[in-house]
Amino acid sequence: MSRQNRPPRRIVGPQSALTDFLASHNISAHQIRLDADARRRAAQNEQDEANDQTNDQAAASTPAPFPAVSASPARATRSRRAEGTGAPDEAARSKEQKAIDKIKASKKFQKRKRGLGDSEDEDDLVDALLKRSAPLPGQMENCEVCGTRFTVTPYTRNGPNGGLLCNKCGKELEKDDAAAKKKKQAKRAGGGAVGMRRQLQSNILDGTYTLGAKSLMTLCIETLAKNIDLAEDLGDLPPSIMDMVARKLSKHRLLDSRTLSLLLNPTAEEVHVYDGAKLSSDDFIRIFRTVPGLKRLKVRNGIHFKDDVLDYLMSRHIELEEFYVHGANLLSNSKWKEFLQQKGRSLRSLRVYWTDKHFGDEVLSLLESACPSLTRLKVCHNQEVTGTGVVTIGNLNCLRHLSLDLRNEVHPDVYVGVLSKIGPSLETLSLTRVRTGDNSILDAIHAHCRSLVKLRITDSEEMTDAGFVRLFQDWANPGLVFLDLQKCRQLDSTHPRANADGIGLCSDGFRALMAHSGKTLKFLNVHGCRHIQAAAFEEAFGPEKVYDAMRKLEISFCEEVTDFVAGSIFRSCPNLRELNVFGCMKVKDVRVPRGKILVGVPNAKGMVIEGDDEDNE
Amino acid sequence: MADSKYITLVSRDGFEFVVLREAALVSPTIKGMLRSQFIEARTGRCCFPEIDGVILEKVVDYFHYWYRNRDKEEVPDMEIPVELCLELLMAANYLNLEPATGLRDWT
Repeated sequence: MSRQNRPPRRIVGPQSALTDFLASHNISAHQIRLDADARRRAAQNEQDEANDQTNDQAAASTPAPFPAVSASPARATRSRRAEGTGAPDEAARSKEQKAIDKIKASKKFQKRKRGLGDSEDEDDLVDALLKRSAPLPGQMENCEVCGTRFTVTPYTRNGPNGGLLCNKCGKELEKDDAAAKKKKQAKRAGGGAVGMRRQLQSNILDGTYTLGAKSLMTLCIETLAKNIDLAEDLGDLPPSIMDMVARKLSKHRLLDSRTLSLLLNPTAEEVHVYDGAKLSSDDFIRIFRTVPGLKRLKVRNGIHFKDDVLDYLMSRHIELEEFYVHGANLLSNSKWKEFLQQKGRSLRSLRVYWTDKHFGDEVLSLLESACPSLTRLKVCHNQEVTGTGVVTIGNLNCLRHLSLDLRNEVHPDVYVGVLSKIGPSLETLSLTRVRTGDNSILDAIHAHCRSLVKLRITDSEEMTDAGFVRLFQDWANPGLVFLDLQKCRQLDSTHPRANADGIGLCSDGFRALMAHSGKTLKFLNVHGCRHIQAAAFEEAFGPEKVYDAMRKLEISFCEEVTDFVAGSIFRSCPNLRELNVFGCMKVKDVRVPRGKILVGVPNAKGMVIEGDDEDNE
Repeated sequence: MADSKYITLVSRDGFEFVVLREAALVSPTIKGMLRSQFIEARTGRCCFPEIDGVILEKVVDYFHYWYRNRDKEEVPDMEIPVELCLELLMAANYLNLEPATGLRDWT
């Protein structure tokens, strides 16, 4: 086994070129190695004596202590032990025996021993542990990875092939280990049956639920978002993918100064910042600096989208066509006006969400002169705009899409005035939370609107069933695609059931709307229209009625909806994806066709997805 | 040949992958190649001179992963190696493996 201690037997395997060369010069590589081993052994014995105590401690406590510098010394000692020759080794041997005893007594050894059977394995284990404690702190060694010479310390780490690593490489390895460990832990947290079920329900409410596997693109984008801190550059991704990445990052609240730079492509025309909460004014300015050809800008949670950002924008040759800003309350009234006057000419779409004070009537009245080509205007959750501002919207001749969600009460006559002017060309009309809106608005829509595709009127407490019937009956407008009439209902806490005046969307209005737009509607929301009777639903979703276009139906808090109605809806709307029935207490046990979603069933299970193969085509 | 259950995908560096035809059809791009009168439709052999073997291997993995799970609920996510993520994303884009249009998309 060990050639070192026996007389050479002249049996040689393949030799290296160096050995051959040395032999020709009468230098024996074997002799050199023997000498070196002897020297090393002597040094080790010395060290042993000096460091006996510390060494044993280290061997017991450090999890991954020092492996053999080369495998041979340990093996050599082992065989020496077996042969029992060599007087100078006597002292070393007793020392070694001591070390072995110590190892055998140690907890670690006992623990490992349990996994092993016979005594030969035990011997091997002793050997392995002994071998690990062989090279000692203070020695010099070459690093396994980078090859530099360094001093072995108790903290020196093992390399992947059993050698030792210098301090620098050791740290690197540790980093990798830590990352791997972290990854493993994260995986465990997300798994399990409960985690899966939660994820499924989350997907349903996000609207991303599908049967089968996720698309490869989704998987990649999710992986990318998870590891965005590793990315230095996303390369030349197409804008559509960039947008998906941006959405995913924002969803995980990962968009900050650093990740924003990844998303800014100098040649892009659009930048969508879905969550700008962590961005500073400088970051917003950087958008204009890096993307000189910017045309469409969307900023949500743009808290630091301030005056100086608009100042910078005005100083550049950027002509925005679409401007969408959410939560930018630090923009002053005067800056808004200045911006619109300077840059409004190119604006086609202006959407302003969640502004408290500084986007008001004055700004709206400027639009007519400053933004002659404006086709889309959306003012959402605004506390400043009043009827005075709304009136001026009627002068925007190009307007196609109008959405208003104002906190101030505006008299219905104001809306009627606007509709009479721009109604014929409107494709989208969204009036959210119009508590005082009454039938005159509905009549104006009926009289003027001819190209509406999307209509939303919510929270009206004045409109009546008769008004809705008048709107939909013989309306010259083609069928709507999107209709949202949620919470248009009578509100009287003292007489919650009685509705003598027929306030809100009731049975007749529902019949009329389904007759007018049922074939084209993709999305219908009659949430909280409590006075639609079961008969009206049963009639609208009767056995002979088919609504191919319908994708999502929201009928929550319509009290009359029963299992039968829900079943009829699934039958009449073959392409329906989702049916919402929160608060429909008569829905108890509906058979849901496979792949469709029923949300909000009032039982302990909360939300239910069931499938049966009979309904599966 | 055109009716074989399997088709062959060839990467830029010459690796060939024999894939279940039905699984590969998840990609509209491949579907288009196989439907029309192109040479691919006759030979059942699609060359992707823009996709490396390593990437195409993952794509093929995905095809079968998708095929196995096509009608299942609660599908565990496939592991995507981080270092291939971007290139795989480009390949997925090329092969049109886009997410299904969500519910919120009503237009």
